[in-house]
Amino acid sequence: MNTITISNLRKVYGSVAAVDGFSLEIQASSVFGLLGPNGAGKTTAFKCMLGLARPTSGEILYDGRPLQPATFERISYVPERSVLYEWMTVNEHVEMNRRAFSSFDAGRARELLAQFNIDTHKRARVLSKGMKTAVMVALAFARNTEVLILDEPTAGLDPVNQRHVLSLMINEAAKGNSVIFSSHQIGQVERAAEHIAVMDRGRLVLEGLVDDLKADRKIVEGIFPNVTYTLDGIANDVRVARADRTERIVRLVVTEGADEIAARLSRAGAAGVRVLDLNLEDIFLYAVSPATATADVVAKESSS
Amino acid sequence: MNYVEWLRVRNWLKITAIVLGVFLVLAIVLRISVSRYMSPDAWVHESMMHPGVKVTHTTLPDGTQRTILDDPAESTRAIIDDRGYAGKHIVITEPSSRAQHESSHINVGSIQVFESHQGKMTTTVVDTNGAVPMLYYMAIADIVAILVATILAAPLAREVDGHLEIALTKPIPRARFALGAMGADVVGIIAASCLTVVAFYICQLLFESARLDFSGINSRAIAMGIACPLAWYAMLCALTTWFNRSYIAVLVSAIPGVIIVGILTIIHPNNVVALFVHDVAWGISRLIPFSYVSFAEPTSHGTINYEASAASSFGFRMAIQVMFFVVYSALAIWKWQRVEA
Repeated sequence: MNTITISNLRKVYGSVAAVDGFSLEIQASSVFGLLGPNGAGKTTAFKCMLGLARPTSGEILYDGRPLQPATFERISYVPERSVLYEWMTVNEHVEMNRRAFSSFDAGRARELLAQFNIDTHKRARVLSKGMKTAVMVALAFARNTEVLILDEPTAGLDPVNQRHVLSLMINEAAKGNSVIFSSHQIGQVERAAEHIAVMDRGRLVLEGLVDDLKADRKIVEGIFPNVTYTLDGIANDVRVARADRTERIVRLVVTEGADEIAARLSRAGAAGVRVLDLNLEDIFLYAVSPATATADVVAKESSS
Repeated sequence: MNYVEWLRVRNWLKITAIVLGVFLVLAIVLRISVSRYMSPDAWVHESMMHPGVKVTHTTLPDGTQRTILDDPAESTRAIIDDRGYAGKHIVITEPSSRAQHESSHINVGSIQVFESHQGKMTTTVVDTNGAVPMLYYMAIADIVAILVATILAAPLAREVDGHLEIALTKPIPRARFALGAMGADVVGIIAASCLTVVAFYICQLLFESARLDFSGINSRAIAMGIACPLAWYAMLCALTTWFNRSYIAVLVSAIPGVIIVGILTIIHPNNVVALFVHDVAWGISRLIPFSYVSFAEPTSHGTINYEASAASSFGFRMAIQVMFFVVYSALAIWKWQRVEA
């Protein structure tokens, strides 16, 4: 499967648009991270992609064709919560997958389950949350599919197993498969994903290669001696994407000319002015709603 | 594709087999404890204590052990033919002890008792190896099948309850998944019914060489005994799929609900409220498969002609059961097609 194309996806529950005009194109052989605050619409978007929820409008195409039952031979999915049958053993879940999917490799599944230290004779009800996640991840990776859609695949896992899941994802991409995953742990996304999209309130607010997004912008940070300072119009410079201030500290997101902006900030009276690279957390926080991203972030308009 | 449902069916069949196994053990215990009463020897021995009683033992050419007791003092004569596992044929001739002169015929399971009066004498014929009507077997099998059907009747609602991400991401159309799951349950219900018949047949074999009667009403009982639990299953399946959030409540209240509806339909409508309740209950009862299970209906004279009335309406009632099964199944699948995670 080369591409997954999502066009103007919209899903409305009652009067609430969980996903609103969401468009995206996901290429093969990549790890794609979908970020967003709680309730941003990530899970709903996944459900629509898999036909679990019927889109109100919009279109989802796999290699140019709508989702068919047979497409599920090429897609595996790990939902955000456990969907294992509590009364069944892990072995029975392996057998269920073996019977349902022609490309499922039961040996590989047992190997992965052993790596996660899962006793396959245990019933799902006695497994911890992390173990259940590990079982679902192992079953998904043993299906040898071209696309893996993973909704919070590391939830509840210990750091060692989290790292293991990230390695599995990267390996799949190296094999030419696509991995689309969501996570609240931005560090993990930064480690595994080469391409990200950020959703907020059902909408796509940012999308691109992680390296490009980082390279595009810099942070200029300075500290003023007291809280009654002015930025002398720096915040209104077209190269300043946004300006946040927290009491005496000013942080400017600059698209170009970071050194020049830093010099202007020094002239305005700021001390300790420095130019920083953006990390994915900054990109995420600045992409989502400014007023709610963090308690101390103030939108550019209000600071000028 | 429906491995999970097959596992559920397997588990419930195991439980059914265990329960039936307990009955079987109880039957073995009973067989052992009554073994000395199953031979006429004890009775013969007791009769021989009476003064003047003459006892004769002979073996007939077919191997039957015949015992003849003659008690001239009591004017009683008993001929006991013991055919081993083929049962016993006992003819007792004695003075009538009551005024009535009507003949009577009683069947209890495989035991048939026929009593006739001639003058002042009564002849009682006891046959312990009569053919057992399948109706009896099916009545018990139906209870088991209906219980199993009630337990299994939420294959789709159980998937909605936290497993849709598995059920709906299998590479088969939704309708096929639903048909497969319901098919597994249908096999399970029929298997539970068969297990019950087999278990009770073995129980009977412990006591005698059982002969089953499949004729007339019995063949209809078998057909209805299979069709009715399946129609009931389909009805509950539709209800649990439509009310999937409260499917456990639907299953738990199903049988009590049917009993309540049944009671309300027999309320005598002697006032407006009673008439309303009766009519509503009657209307609901028409949608319940059990309402069409009947082997007897009153004739225009108020008497009951079991064979004739059952035979005449059997085709119609079977058609209703089949229609219920198809329509309710279709309703369940239709709703399943529209389920969202």
